Parts: sequence; structure tokens; C-alpha cells
Amino acid sequence: MGCASSLPDRTQGPGLLNNSDSSGALDPKNLKVKLVLLGDSGVGKSCIVLRFVRGQFDPSSKVTVGASFLSQTIALQDSTTVKFEIWDTAGQERYAALAPLYYRGAAIAVVVYDITNPDSFNKAQYWVKELQKHGSPDIVMALVGNKADLHEKREIQVQEGIDYAEKNGMFFIETSAKTADNINQLFEEIAKRLPRPSTSS
Amino acid sequence: MLQDDDDANSSSETDSIDQNPNPNPTTSIDQSLDAIEGQLTSISLHSIPPIPQIISALPSDSHSQLQQATVAQNLEYIDTLPSDSHSQVEQVVESPGEVDMERGVVDNSVSRGQGVLWRNNSDVDVDVEGQGSPSSSGYAGGKGTSSSSSGISGSGIEEISGDDEVDRVEVVNRSASFGASVDSEWLPGKRHVNEDDASVSWRKRKKHFFILSHSGKPIYSRYGDEHRLAGFSATLQAIISFVENGGDRVKLVRAGKHQVVFLVKGPIYLVCISCTEEPHESLSEQLELLYGQMILILTKSINRCFEKNAKFDMTPLLGGTDAVFSSLIHSFSWNPATFLHAYSCLPLAYATRQAAGAILQDVAESGVLFAILMCKHKVISLVGAQKASLHPDDMLLLANFVMSSESFRTSESFSPICLPRYNPMAFLYTYVYYLDADTYLMLLTANPDAFHRLKDWRIRIEMVLLKSNVLNEAQRSMVDGGMHVEDLPVNPSPLSGSLSSHLGQPRPPLDSTDGCKTLLGGPAGLWHFIYRSIYLDQYVSSEFSSPVNTPKQQKRLFRAYQKLYTSMHDRELGPHKTQFRRDNNYVLLCWVTQDFELYAAFDPLADKVCFLL
Repeated sequence: MGCASSLPDRTQGPGLLNNSDSSGALDPKNLKVKLVLLGDSGVGKSCIVLRFVRGQFDPSSKVTVGASFLSQTIALQDSTTVKFEIWDTAGQERYAALAPLYYRGAAIAVVVYDITNPDSFNKAQYWVKELQKHGSPDIVMALVGNKADLHEKREIQVQEGIDYAEKNGMFFIETSAKTADNINQLFEEIAKRLPRPSTSS
Repeated sequence: MLQDDDDANSSSETDSIDQNPNPNPTTSIDQSLDAIEGQLTSISLHSIPPIPQIISALPSDSHSQLQQATVAQNLEYIDTLPSDSHSQVEQVVESPGEVDMERGVVDNSVSRGQGVLWRNNSDVDVDVEGQGSPSSSGYAGGKGTSSSSSGISGSGIEEISGDDEVDRVEVVNRSASFGASVDSEWLPGKRHVNEDDASVSWRKRKKHFFILSHSGKPIYSRYGDEHRLAGFSATLQAIISFVENGGDRVKLVRAGKHQVVFLVKGPIYLVCISCTEEPHESLSEQLELLYGQMILILTKSINRCFEKNAKFDMTPLLGGTDAVFSSLIHSFSWNPATFLHAYSCLPLAYATRQAAGAILQDVAESGVLFAILMCKHKVISLVGAQKASLHPDDMLLLANFVMSSESFRTSESFSPICLPRYNPMAFLYTYVYYLDADTYLMLLTANPDAFHRLKDWRIRIEMVLLKSNVLNEAQRSMVDGGMHVEDLPVNPSPLSGSLSSHLGQPRPPLDSTDGCKTLLGGPAGLWHFIYRSIYLDQYVSSEFSSPVNTPKQQKRLFRAYQKLYTSMHDRELGPHKTQFRRDNNYVLLCWVTQDFELYAAFDPLADKVCFLL
């Protein structure tokens, strides 16, 4: 019983990290996309994901090791569903060299920075360049300024984020995983921007 | 200016460096010596009036020469081992106990270096029977207690009740047991970050661990902020490189109650400064594990960074791993696996473990290198691909890494890790998934693209485990714990069967057993035992029970076992076969054969005849 159930799964795709987008393209109404979160450590990548997937916020910081995998499905107004397979990567420097393992084949990259931390904004720009060089050519990129609730400590102005995102053809949004502000909007907007498999197929 | 090593014997002052063919400019040596003096003084601040102790090892082509200044009644010993040799000679030197500066020079006239160890005589309290006839085991009696109990009866010298307490400060409610209740109270993570080497509290910590680079840059410190300890790290580096420049290697410095243990691993230096009275061999093994933990996170290819840039700063690469190291260091005071080099299994019914093993075996046959199912620190089942074997130390480090990294509990993860004993140069990838609060599955592979396949396997494994009730059984076993000495039959013959089934000798009838029944604990006054199977790399220990039921007592027993293990595996004199040791706290019995090692603690008042089986 157990054996049987896992075998069809494996035959659907090659079973690799980067299989998700290709298999997702099969059904235009039920998309399955691979999404990767990148950004400096401590900017709140895991918090964004956990808020989106589980509706939770845990203020105690838990350093991500390697990468965590979560998935969440949302329904859009045009009755399509999008299943996000999310790679929440560790922001630690030692994992930077291994990032291609996680962003390879990703349809969406969400690059996160902390609006109170200019270093994290620089790091975000590093990731954008890295993705432009080595990511999929048709990757959808979003720039996210997180911790928007800490506006009294803000160091990166909204306009800076907007300008940089525009220059690089990215979608931009400021979020707060703590207050849940704009978290769902972020993923909905991304879903709308996904290249749809042509309806003719 | 060249002189014989013997001549150094006659030199009476510490300036003998000037007389020696040291390639370094004298000024820099003096500076580093000054710094060493200063630091060692500050380390031993609370134990001895600050009289500096100087270690210098002099360069020599064919001779290894040591110099040492001894202070008051404290005996230091320095142990150097030239890098080209594994041989080691141990010498026991009398401690004269003078207040004057005393100098000893040991001449090694054998050309390929021999290490020299000076040892305090009072350490040698081990009474060993070499021929392995248990009935004629030596008896150490009261004399043997001198070193082991002095710290206990003293004013809080031993690091007993906790990990990060300050001398003379008792920390209540700190769990240090190695039973089931292990990490219920202890929380991993760095504490006392605001301290540095100028803080009194920092200096009074009983057990420091440092990792630094060969250029003296701090990499990790158990207490205090690494960056604020740059000066201290530089001093440690100066000590190590000073001795290295002489073609020697410093392994141990004893300064009063403190032991400073060094371990050099290429460009990485590891140092432990401890006044816990643990054997220096144990401390050295702990440094090995600490290094292994670092390799597990980064692989040994980190050495290349130092080849490119000697002043490379490694701290950013270890960002967020404080909890991993602090939890490992904590386990040095409760987890017998850290000195036994064996792992322990969760007690389960045969059928339950078979069910878990069978599904893991399927996985291992389909391209997974290792499939490990664990409940906290205990193994439920472990399967390796053909010819792949997992070293118990690797398992310890991997389990520590997974359990101390909170993010694994949140969701399934796929993370690069390196198994230092398997292949220190390469990353493997581990899929980690918590099946419940305590039970987690690790699937290791060399294929970085295997995540989705491993995820599928996990779903299948989880179904099988649920169907065969393994998870519930595991939870129940965690609650029930392992063996209890009280459950052992009081009747002496079953006792000999359960404890010493390998003995294969007829046991003489004992009339005195009746007298033992009144004692606390198990039969014959048995309080606790650890049994290690050498062939299986596994050990089993009894649960703690009265009277060893406070964390303080458990830690004391842990340390006693640790000491016992070290003395049994003495590289020079050992390995020994049996040991019988009695002090104020217990009677300890150790018995080592080719197949197993048995460590047992008895009531100190128990009749000797009761347990000499």
C-alpha cells in the first residue's frame, strides 16, 4: 500500500529539485510552481513563509539550516489554483555557494531584505544579480522589504525599493510577517504574474 | 650559541631563551611570553596567587626539550609531541612541593621525538589487575580517593551542578543527567555574550572552549563574544606557534587547578581551559569532537580559505551555530557517547524495531547512503547502504546538529552536512523530518538533487511507522526509560546472568548476598551500570535511580565513569582488563574484554564479595 502510493509520484517527474515547474505546466488550471526565498540572514524569510503557509508568527528567531521546504496552495479569482513549493533558504553566508541547488529551476524568486537594515538591502541586490546571471531566464522576481511594522527604525525608504525593483523588472512590496501585512498579497500578486501555459495546449 | 639540551638544565632563570638557538627574534618571544604569563595568571587568578608560569619548548633538531617553571605546590605538566611521531613516553616526576621556582628539563635523546609527560603522582591512584582475573582485582581503598574526591569535598571546584556556573555559585535546577530527562531544562545557545577576558565572571568559568585560526583570529568561544576575545585568542595562538616554531607541539599545560589542552588541526587551533579535574585525555577527545562538529558544518575544505588568505575570518561562516556547539559541549557532561564512542538505542520490542528496520532497509537499497531513525539521542533504527558504515562519533555529531537546530522542527529540510569520519572533504545532503516532537528521520545522500525522492520515501516510511505503531512505542519507551537496577533480580545467579552473560564462568555461591539486600539501589548494592558492546559500537546504561538521583550526583558519576574509561584506555599502560576503585562516593568496577566493556557503580559500603562475580 505504502509502496504503491509513492511510485506514481516518482514517475510524474524526474524526482529532482527542479522538476516542479515543468510538471506544474501540465495543467493550466492547477499550477504547481517552485518558489525560492533568498536574502540575508535575519530578514524574516522563514517568518514570511510560516505566516503564509501556517498563519503563524514566532518572534523567537530560529536560524534556518540548509533549506526548509513547505508548500501552500492558493486559489485565484479566475478559478485557477497555484501550488507554491517553497524553498526557504538559509541566509547564512556558508550556504551562499549552495544556493543554486535551491534556485535552479525555480519559477519564482522572492528576494527579501529588512527595511531597518541597509546591509540586508545590499545583500538583496547581490541576490538579484546572481539570479539574473544564473537563474532561469524567465524567472519571476519579487523584491520584498520585510519588517514594515518597524517604521520608526526604517533605514531603507520605500522609494529606494521601488526604484531598484523597477530598474530590474521586479515586483515590489513591503510586508510585515509579524502583523501579516501584505503577506497574502505578496503571493497573490506573484501568482498573477506567472507566465501561464498557453490556453491552447 | 648552540648548546646541548642538557646544559639547559643548569640554567636557572626563565631567560634561557636567549641562550637557545631559537629562530625567532628574541623580542617577539619575550612579548609572547609576557602575554602568556599575563593570561595564565589571569586564568588561575582565583586558585593561586598570581605567579606566572612559563612554558617554553625549545627548538632542537634531534632532541625534544622542555622547560617548565613550577609554582608552589602545584605541579604543571607539559606534554609535547613532535608532529612527526605518534610515539609517546610518559614519565612520572615527583612533585617536590617547593615554593621556589623549580625547573625541570627532560632530555629526550631518542632522535625521532618522544613526547614527555610529567604527571602529578597523586593522579596515579589506579589499581589495576592486568591478568583479567576478576577475583583478584586490585583494591585501591582509601588511598585512591585522594585525587578524585578532593575536588568534590572542596568548595565547588568540580563543575558538578551545571555547565556555566561560576565557582562557588550553585546553580539550582540545572539538569545534567544522562537519563531520559536530559534536555528538559537545558536550552542550547550562547550565554554570557557580554563577557570577555576582562570580566571576573568569565575568568571564573570552569570550562572554556576556544576555536581560533592559526593567525590568532577567534572562531568560537563558549563564553563571551568572539570578537572581544581577539586579544586572548592571539595569546593562545602565540603559545601554540611558539612551541611549533621549536618543532614541537604543545598538548597540555597545567596551571594550578587548570588544565589547558591544545589541539592543532591544520590552520585551526582548538583549546580547552578547564578546572573540572577531568582527565586531559578526555578534554582532548572533547576538542576532537568540537572540531568534528565544525567539519560537519563546513567540511575540511575550509582549510583552503586559509591557504588563500592566512588572515581569513571564519566567524561569519559559522553564523547561527552557537547552539550547535554549546549543546555539544553540554553533552560532554551528560552523554556517555562522548567518551565511549558508541551510540545507544531506544529500548523497543523486537517486532517494533524489525518493522522500522525493514522499511529503512528498503530505502537504503534504493540509493540512500544512510537512513537513521532516532528518538532524541537514541537510535531506533539505522541502516547504511552497502559497505557504508557510520562512525558513532559522526552519529553523535549529526544528532547534536539536528537536535540543536530548531528550524528542523518547523518543517522538512534538506541541508548539506559533512560526516567527518566518513569523508571530511565532501558534503553529503541530509533530509530531516520530525515525525513527532522527539522522533526524527534523517536520510543521507550524496546526490544534491535527491530531495523530492527522499521526500517521497519519507512519506512511505511515515506510513509504515504509523501502521506498525513504531512512533507510539517509541514515545512509550521514552517515558518508561531503559533498565532500572531495582528491577534486577536480587537472587545472585540471575544477576550474574544479566550483567555478565559474557563471563561464561561458573559463579561461586555467595553467602553474603543477604547482607547486601538492605542496601539502596539494585542487587548487591548496584547503583548504575553502563555496558558497551565493542562489536556493535553500542552501549546501554541503566536509568538513574536512588541514590544517584540529583543532577549533581549524576554528573559526578558521569565524571567518575569518564575517568575510569580514560584510565582503562591509557595508551601507555593500557588497555587494562579490570579495575576496582573505591572512594567516598562509590565503588566503581570496570571490566574490559575484547567484546564488551562494563562500567558499574556500587554502594561504597557494599561488601566487596558481592560484586566480584
